[in-house]
Amino acid sequence: MALSLTVNGEKRTLEVDGDTPLLWVIRDELGLKGTKFGCGAGLCGACTVHLDGQPVRSCSTPVDLASGKSVTTIEGLASRGDLHPLQKAWVEHGVPQCGYCQSGQIMSAAYLLKHNPAAEREDIVAALSGNLCRCGTYSKIIAAVESVASGESVDREGA
Amino acid sequence: MTLNRRDFLKVSAGTSGSLVFALALPGCSGIQTGYREEDGAWKPDAWLELTTDNKVYFTLARVEMGQGTYTGLTTLIAEELEVEPAAITPKFAPVASEYRNPLYKLQLTGGSTSIATSWMPLRQAGAEAREMLILAAARVWEVDHSECTAFEGHVRHPNGVDTLPYGKLVSLASSETVRHEVKLKPQSQWRYIGKARGRLDAGAKSTGTAEYGIDIELPGMVYAVVTRPPRYGARVKSFNGSDIQAMPGVLKVLEIERGVAIVAGKYWQARKAQQKLKVEWDNADALGLSTNDVFADYHKAADDDAGVRERDDGDFADAAAGAERVLEASYEQPYLAHATLEPMNATAWYRGDSMEVWAPTQAPDLGRIAAARVSDLSPDDITINTTFLGGGFGRRLTQDYIEEAAAVAYSVKTPVKVIWSREEDTRHDLYRPAMLHRMKASVSGGEVTGWHHQVVGPQILDWYVRNAAPAQYPWSPKFLYDTLGKVGLMAEGIATPKDISAIEGAIDYPYKVANVEVRHTHTDPGVPITWWRSVGYSHNGFAAETFMDELAHETGKDPYEFRRALIAHQPRHREVLDRVVAMSGWKAPAPSGRARGVALFQSFGTYVAQVVEASIENDGIHVHRVWCAVDCGQVVNPEIVRDQIEGGIIFGLTAALHGEITLQDGEVQQSNFHDYPLMRNYELPEIIVDIVDSDETPTGVGEPGVPPVIPALGNALFALTGERQRKLPLKAAASSL
Repeated sequence: MALSLTVNGEKRTLEVDGDTPLLWVIRDELGLKGTKFGCGAGLCGACTVHLDGQPVRSCSTPVDLASGKSVTTIEGLASRGDLHPLQKAWVEHGVPQCGYCQSGQIMSAAYLLKHNPAAEREDIVAALSGNLCRCGTYSKIIAAVESVASGESVDREGA
Repeated sequence: MTLNRRDFLKVSAGTSGSLVFALALPGCSGIQTGYREEDGAWKPDAWLELTTDNKVYFTLARVEMGQGTYTGLTTLIAEELEVEPAAITPKFAPVASEYRNPLYKLQLTGGSTSIATSWMPLRQAGAEAREMLILAAARVWEVDHSECTAFEGHVRHPNGVDTLPYGKLVSLASSETVRHEVKLKPQSQWRYIGKARGRLDAGAKSTGTAEYGIDIELPGMVYAVVTRPPRYGARVKSFNGSDIQAMPGVLKVLEIERGVAIVAGKYWQARKAQQKLKVEWDNADALGLSTNDVFADYHKAADDDAGVRERDDGDFADAAAGAERVLEASYEQPYLAHATLEPMNATAWYRGDSMEVWAPTQAPDLGRIAAARVSDLSPDDITINTTFLGGGFGRRLTQDYIEEAAAVAYSVKTPVKVIWSREEDTRHDLYRPAMLHRMKASVSGGEVTGWHHQVVGPQILDWYVRNAAPAQYPWSPKFLYDTLGKVGLMAEGIATPKDISAIEGAIDYPYKVANVEVRHTHTDPGVPITWWRSVGYSHNGFAAETFMDELAHETGKDPYEFRRALIAHQPRHREVLDRVVAMSGWKAPAPSGRARGVALFQSFGTYVAQVVEASIENDGIHVHRVWCAVDCGQVVNPEIVRDQIEGGIIFGLTAALHGEITLQDGEVQQSNFHDYPLMRNYELPEIIVDIVDSDETPTGVGEPGVPPVIPALGNALFALTGERQRKLPLKAAASSL
């Protein structure tokens, strides 16, 4: 079936089975590989994207539920070529190890900070406990989010 | 003095384009070194490539799976080349003999060996290239090379003012011969080693642009899923292929060695078709046992066969016969899955006379063997392109997933990507083996006089040799592959290295006890196994350091003081133990309701001591804090060392708290993160890592953080509850189980 959705601000029309998980549409139809497949069951958070501003597990979201809606992926987080403050904090703190879960971690954190810009440690832990990291980068993830929430992360680009 | 342009051009013209030579070894592809005029690139060796437009490429022969080779190895070569690490572009290595891991004679990344085995060769390579660039500049300037210096991609004239960028010198440098002794920089002049911060791959991994195996996209690519037998060793008897063939998007249904593959235009079409696939399995040779059988068999094997004596200091039997008391305990550890967050996947493209594979692999040369096995090609016809790995932990040392993709590609002849579901990844893993340990200690006058450790279980090389042996001899004919494996095992300990995967961490028991005996009862239940982060140390550490704790308790000693007295002769052990005790405030009581446990363990050449502080709250184990002192010799990147140790602690705690794969009638019972849980953010303890400042040769850090945290937590729970847990995973209420 043909359906339309807006991805990272761009309207896209696709011919795809409606029960296809949004994840595989994003990755294979739209070529945006930053969103990752981890479990296929909404248990690990690697596939987290924003659907009309809400974080969803795209592996468990049939694409027809996204029809007519707006999707933001890790590739759409930077604005006008400037990295999102969380992405800058991730680099400054050297958060990623294997890196595979980090798109999902950042998307979950971005939602948190949008709605709670001064999030405290316990808010961060609660908001990110649905995102698994097998390498064990949790303490750096929390530190990086805290640095943005507290405004301590220096925006070196001066944006 | 300024650059004599005419001389510069003259020398350039005289040398460019010449001296391209190949270093070819028998049966190996050989990396071409020298200067290539067509693209202005100079390869002084197998690792570096410098271009006339001042780019520096570094071929990374140890894959990046999170452990930090991308940054760490680049730092080593950067230090001596005198180029900032961030100005170097790492590239993943193709298969070539030059890129073999010298410890294994295979091109594999594992065993926490990357920094240790690259420490000298990469710095030497960087230094030699730098000297050739300096010689070239000295020739241009007509000055003594020993008065020129290199810095940040330039050579500086003795006058301290004039400089030449490397790009201007590459063509000239390619014809220089270094006749003087090339000295590595003394530690006092290091700019990056021991100081480097951050990771060179952090940007790509924070923006979704780092390319993993699963991200490969090729023209006309199709997708495949494979249905494997629920019971290991079963074979396909029949399946409803024609029903599946008729489903939307399905291009082909085929039987391969490992099961039934469904090829479709889109991944989801293949998955949907798979739900309708009905396979009848021939279970004649299939695994039928359950986990309880495994441990019953281990106990029986341990009774029947005392095993091979792997260490024998003094006379344990004699010590035991004359002792006041002999203490005994058995420890059991379950099968464990790797659970890399990126599930197994590989993409392959068979083109008739060649095959190209893209895969996240820790052993690309074994991957070539795996692909050769299922096609009509020889390993030299097969190219393996390695990507970033979404976790490895030993899982991607085994190449079953490449074998599948190659088998499907060989049939469909278009690019095909095989992706495993999480359920498939969990159920068709090769596991950390379940193990049994029988411990005995003789005690007289409050002192331990004897230590006896009987390790019971399989060893990993029995499984790994299948592709590893042919990979060492890639020119051997395919019909010999399996024979090579058998010969390798028969010659083990004679012609090939002894497999110590079951006993590492047991044979090197470090404490000063007069009579030490370590035995291995080799028994293999037939459940697939492979390397798992810290391998044998992961189970021997739990057995040895828990039993040490039991002995401390039995002799009425503080667990730290007990160990300290027996390790006084080992300075590096002693130092990390003393440090962790000081850091953790061991001698002061733990906060109310909490208790602490300690463990000390060396693995992969690295010394680690840990203290864990835990409580039991709401029927769950709560780990509050972990203190860790580590001595890994010279540190290349302190931040990555810290990250690896911390990640290892979390990996170990995940095993201690949650990790258990069970089998029922041959079928793995777990499938996804709901029943094979990983530690989550809310369970995270505070982790405090202290690194010993050392100028000893660097040793590994990827794995050594894992083993001690498991017994340290168990020992803390004993201190808390008075009940000793000898089985993993640990439970909040041992007596109720």
